[in-house]
Amino acid sequence: MKIGASTFIWVSPFSNDTFHLFSKVKKMGFDILEICVENPQTIDPVLIRQASLAEGVEVLICGAFGMDRDISADDEATRLNGINYIKCCIDIAAEVGSPLVSGPMYSATGKTRLLDPIAKKKQISLAVANMRIVADYADQVGISLAVEPLNRYETDFINTVDQGLDFFDQIGKDNVGFLIDTFHMNIEEKSIGEAIRRADKKVFNFHACANDRGTPGVDHLNWIEIKCALEQIGYDRYMVIESFTTEITEIARAVSQWRPLASSADMLASEGIKFLKKTFI
Amino acid sequence: MFKYSFDTLVYGDEPVRKSIERLAKFGYDAVELVGEAEKYSIPEVRSACADNGIVVSSLCSIFDAERDMVHPDPKVRQNTLDYVQKTLEFGAEVGASVVIVRPSPCMKTAPLADAVTEHAWAVENMRKSAEMAAKLNLKIVIECWNRYEAYMLNRLDQALALAKEVNMPNCGVMGDTFHMCLEELDLAAAFRSCGEMLYHVHLADSNRAAPGIAHLDFVPILKALKDINYQGYLSFEILPAAADPFAVLSNGGATEFLDPYTKFGIDHMKKCEKLI
Repeated sequence: MKIGASTFIWVSPFSNDTFHLFSKVKKMGFDILEICVENPQTIDPVLIRQASLAEGVEVLICGAFGMDRDISADDEATRLNGINYIKCCIDIAAEVGSPLVSGPMYSATGKTRLLDPIAKKKQISLAVANMRIVADYADQVGISLAVEPLNRYETDFINTVDQGLDFFDQIGKDNVGFLIDTFHMNIEEKSIGEAIRRADKKVFNFHACANDRGTPGVDHLNWIEIKCALEQIGYDRYMVIESFTTEITEIARAVSQWRPLASSADMLASEGIKFLKKTFI
Repeated sequence: MFKYSFDTLVYGDEPVRKSIERLAKFGYDAVELVGEAEKYSIPEVRSACADNGIVVSSLCSIFDAERDMVHPDPKVRQNTLDYVQKTLEFGAEVGASVVIVRPSPCMKTAPLADAVTEHAWAVENMRKSAEMAAKLNLKIVIECWNRYEAYMLNRLDQALALAKEVNMPNCGVMGDTFHMCLEELDLAAAFRSCGEMLYHVHLADSNRAAPGIAHLDFVPILKALKDINYQGYLSFEILPAAADPFAVLSNGGATEFLDPYTKFGIDHMKKCEKLI
């Protein structure tokens, strides 16, 4: 299992000015830096690749889906923008050596409308059709898409593993699976262990977050249950800590983090990795 | 050992007698009514309660954008105090012992004034509310909501600090296990830390359905409540999984929240009681 840290713990947006994160996470003992592409203009894949190789820290690419990046939006321009953004993340992933593009790519984060069944069906069919397009695009460069269910306050679309599995059945592409996140699962899954077992081989990426999105391990989640479930499905890929700086821009309203959740971002990451290594490795 | 109540919020617009009959049938002691006095006929509430051996434990006040004690517009702040006064009077009329009062409204996720000013307004207006409640022999309780419903007061330590500043014996705090499951690192410890300032409890599982449906362990919570000698009600506040659960209900959805979850929740809690 490789342990990672999300750039969101410290910075928003990640840019050429924040490459110091590579040496920071390396010193803390992380194998992975998960880079969230808030603004592609600030991302230089060539320089990221160099920094990644120089520090010996692998990169995973993750997307941030604001209101204008929505493959299931009502209007075509927004859908196209969403498709182009995901393709851009795939291009970046290919260049920096990330085998995955992760994130809640089916919709815009923070869209929590109550749709009637007809409108819902239309939204799903738009998402399915457009997920096929980006999945094929990703497949050409050997990249997989890790789709993240979010809790009810962040999306009305995919909240649970069961809804995600249904969605994947409709898409029908082998390179589409899950990023599952313990913070969201705490709210939405009746049993986190069961949800992990049902997701099974479709778990491509995993966010290990405390129930309050602070330091994993000091919280009330049942980490032994989580460990057992991951062992049962033979998951040994990535385990990434995600928390947010309170200065986050692209999805600030959606994640609603109003207060610092640890004494510092560095403490959150260094205490978090200690716990995850002890528990999972 | 514990006394159980049920917040009728999830029953939507159904006649209050029908709600009270359902609660009596499944073994509840009390009902928590919605803090909208004009929705009810006081004689009907009283007679439905008397006919079914149910009392009104508490009122769940509704704080929307027009009911905001920390709003920069003094008219909005006064309107909020007027609402609290009216709700307290209704509470006294139906024999409630606790009324939930919050300084900032549901879904307000950005401050409209600086933090120091907001805090001063919160203390001032919560104290006025406590004084009004004291005249009617009522307690008020400060409720915390999770980060998605409010930027102000997400955790019990924040509510306790405010209650201590208000410094009135009839102003305490309450915990809602759904919100706590998101915000607190240890739910039982958070309840213990309230001690004798805990005047009210809302029960829901981790996904806001009836206790026992999802993964929250209520046994350590009940142990903590027993240890602090909690004498108030455990009131179920369960709601469907949506950012706006009330719209789901008014569209006729989530019918499992009626008879099935009303029964399941109390049965589960009584099983948990046997384990403490």
